[in-house]
Amino acid sequence: MPSYNLYMGCSVPANYPNYEASMIRVAEVLGMELVYMEDVACCGSPNLRAMDYFGWLVVNARTLAIGEKNGYDIVTPCNGCFGSLKDVLHHLKHDPEDLALVNKELAKMDLELKGSIKVRHFVEALYTDVGIEEIKKKITKPLDGVGIAIHYGCHLLRPADVTEFTPSILDELVEVTGATVIEYPLWKQCCGATVLPINEPLAIRLARDKLKSMTEYGAVFATVVCPACGNQLDLQQLGLRDSYNEDYNLPILLYPQILALAMGMSEEEVGLELNRVSADSILDHLSE
Amino acid sequence: MAETKNKAGVPETLIEPIEMSSLDASFRNEIHSMPNGEELSACFACSTCTAACPIANQWKYKPHQLIRMIILGMRDEVLSSSEIWECLTCFQCQERCPQNVRVTDIFFDCKNLASERGDIPSSIVSLAKELLEKGQLYQVTADWEREDLELEPEVPGLSIEEVKSILKNTRTGKIAGDE
Repeated sequence: MPSYNLYMGCSVPANYPNYEASMIRVAEVLGMELVYMEDVACCGSPNLRAMDYFGWLVVNARTLAIGEKNGYDIVTPCNGCFGSLKDVLHHLKHDPEDLALVNKELAKMDLELKGSIKVRHFVEALYTDVGIEEIKKKITKPLDGVGIAIHYGCHLLRPADVTEFTPSILDELVEVTGATVIEYPLWKQCCGATVLPINEPLAIRLARDKLKSMTEYGAVFATVVCPACGNQLDLQQLGLRDSYNEDYNLPILLYPQILALAMGMSEEEVGLELNRVSADSILDHLSE
Repeated sequence: MAETKNKAGVPETLIEPIEMSSLDASFRNEIHSMPNGEELSACFACSTCTAACPIANQWKYKPHQLIRMIILGMRDEVLSSSEIWECLTCFQCQERCPQNVRVTDIFFDCKNLASERGDIPSSIVSLAKELLEKGQLYQVTADWEREDLELEPEVPGLSIEEVKSILKNTRTGKIAGDE
């Protein structure tokens, strides 16, 4: 099985160790060798891109160049990191002038970006390299058809020419666990994470729109593959009790948690107690 | 419903008249030369971007108007607008543009120009400082949670010194230093 350069970024390790742990465990069972990248930087998020485009290019080009040294694909569990790395790589591959400027900075660190590296989201590597059939073989406690809504997240889907992500991958990955995918009208809509530092009431409204749409269409659980989306849809539910006097009580699971549980791992191994809205009820939907 | 409004008097206008002498024609060229600004002038103002935007309903300037304002040269109005900073960066506008105008990317260009001249929200300035001081956006505060899950207590492999030294010499350093 292939090895991967695992790029964690800062948000998943700091805020969602349950995401990190469940990802590491399912990867291990499925034979994906995820090797933590050494000496890599925080991607800076879209906020760094907004205020300091060139700084954002250099910081992320540095990570890409480090990945190029061993040539393994970079894999990340964070849509924000994915978006930054993919966009920077896309830009520098199409703009030789900026590539030269960036490489001048990288040369000071004994690095050079050629542009041969590939950047992938963890779920895409899981889907493409392991595949649904192999995953299916490891499902020992399938879910009972319970309805799960999927939030892909903006920076995984768009801009499509940059992210190169197929927006049906998670549907198949959720279905293989035995769950039913709940379709809902706002499935492509933003969770509001990026605007949180600028306009908090607006960010809360966006999270609410999503949760409302999911629950109205019958979701019992929802799943995300990004810490920022997780924050918006999970943690913000607690705030919605105050701001909108609404209680959605919709547990939000990081996708590898669902897969790990369906593969027979324990609630401790996937850190279920760290989910802000209690997700313990997922255990009732696993077959024995 | 037979009553009609009195038509006498000054007609209502939907927008303020534009002061031609205050337009800055170089603004369009500047955006045009920035990352992904090439297709700016292909905009034919169909407002599909605005229809796609989940928050345009609460904006004074809608996405298609902002693009038109850039083309007209309304530099100050665009760069001092709160709209460019409220953009969710969800890329719905850009994805649906029939003319391939990279609307979201162009708003990123606008934010860079606004930052350069100091038009930047205080919360973003705080993020700049955070990145310069800590070299990352989020720190581990509950390492016991990581240890319970048999993960390394610290963020694995994260380098903070290189980020600090890179961003100190780019605009982030300037933004944080200006305060």
